[in-house]
Amino acid sequence: MPLIKRGSASGTRLPTSAETPPRAASHASLASRLADLRSAEAERRWRAARALGRDPEVVPALAAALRCEPVARVREAITTALLRIGTEASVAVLIDCLRCNDAGLRAAAIEALQALPTAVRPFVEALLADADSDVRILATELMRNMPERDVTELLCRLIEHEPHPNVCAAAIEVLTEAGTSDAIPVLEACSRRFAHDPFLPFAISVAIARISGTEG
Amino acid sequence: MAQLTSIEPAIRATDEEVQRLCEFLYRRTGMSFSIDKRYYIDRRLAERIAVTGSSSFQSYFALLRSDVDHEIEHLVNAFTVNETYFYREEHQLHCLTAGVLERIVSTRPAGAPIRIWSVPCSTGEEPYSIAIWLLENWGQVDAFDIEIVGSDIDTRVLEAAISGVYGKRALMRLSATVIQRYFEPIGPGEYRIDPGLRDSVQFHRVNVVDPQQTAAYRDFDVIFCRNLLIYFDDASRRLAAENLYDCLRPGGYILLGHSESMSRISPLFDVCRFPDAIVYQRAEGGHDNQ
Repeated sequence: MPLIKRGSASGTRLPTSAETPPRAASHASLASRLADLRSAEAERRWRAARALGRDPEVVPALAAALRCEPVARVREAITTALLRIGTEASVAVLIDCLRCNDAGLRAAAIEALQALPTAVRPFVEALLADADSDVRILATELMRNMPERDVTELLCRLIEHEPHPNVCAAAIEVLTEAGTSDAIPVLEACSRRFAHDPFLPFAISVAIARISGTEG
Repeated sequence: MAQLTSIEPAIRATDEEVQRLCEFLYRRTGMSFSIDKRYYIDRRLAERIAVTGSSSFQSYFALLRSDVDHEIEHLVNAFTVNETYFYREEHQLHCLTAGVLERIVSTRPAGAPIRIWSVPCSTGEEPYSIAIWLLENWGQVDAFDIEIVGSDIDTRVLEAAISGVYGKRALMRLSATVIQRYFEPIGPGEYRIDPGLRDSVQFHRVNVVDPQQTAAYRDFDVIFCRNLLIYFDDASRRLAAENLYDCLRPGGYILLGHSESMSRISPLFDVCRFPDAIVYQRAEGGHDNQ
């Protein structure tokens, strides 16, 4: 039979079901991992980021690495490390990324932050009031995994006075998934305010239909 | 498989509500269902609404979003076929031999090893299915050294996998010829897998979220990881995807369950569309995306 037999010499040695799996071969020191994070080799940076995902003390190093990391998968590993650390400091690093010009980094930061709704919550109100409309748009995305009451209250407060149609559209999309019926009067008012916009009244009709469970 | 009631559900979600549910499920789990599968969705949703004592879709959806009592996991269970059997999702096995392996061996010399990992392997039906499928359907099976590994976090199911004893129901998709060739009847409705075949699959315990445990698993050409990642929260899912990436050889492939999407879970893999299935690939060495 061409299939390799269990325990055969040509098979790979893996831990049996009864064995404790071997610890990772690398017992590199923290200092060497931090040095690897600045290596010219993407593979070393990837391994360093993967190994540093538990220690809150490494957040500044991860932050510095994230700002200049050109390789998508290494960036992914750094954001995962920050997500696993999950402290206020690591969340602040990811929130800073919302202002960067790199769309890939912004997207990676959003995904990581969405996984930390409780840690992100204290930052959200300031982000929704940010002077930069792009930051306000991204801030609405951070609310997707938050409790419905918070989503409805904060996003309704936003769209009541929000002048930028794209910010309203982003908030409406999140309300479509996570809003409660308390949002409906605010959405209707927003629809009237942007009656001449080519998209918002339609998006609002879909949101109201989804929230109320009736056909749009 | 979850028992589904045949009675008309007391609460029937509207199209808009089903759409809302589908979008939530996709975003949170990577599972993709659309409104045109209402027949499939309705019964499972009605069951969860009834079991949780929810008075309406709205109240159920609020409970689901907050993941009260692990409701996301319960809903995923209801939406996936938990029962495992030989040749389950056969189109992926077609894809393995007609697409994935053909690509892999196109640049590999005869006699080279090919490593396949089934995780989670549960009671062994999947890795044994892969072994049988290769022997029955892949003309180049004799030209390579094929190593098949099955892993699961649960040592009890691994013990069952190693014992290789199955009921008739697990064999329902196999032809009489295949059953006769690879199984021996040992009692009423019970079969034991051929000892030679049984010895061709290695079984090991692993937690795919633990990087230290998965560090022993490297250079796989193909990983079957079906209906596992959908159960994890976002952080665990990202970590598992990174671990699986490291377990693959550059250019290796990962196959997920038919309703799962790696694109939603992680940007680490490239999407490969084969005629029988969508598969995800670790980029070849030196092709890191900037």
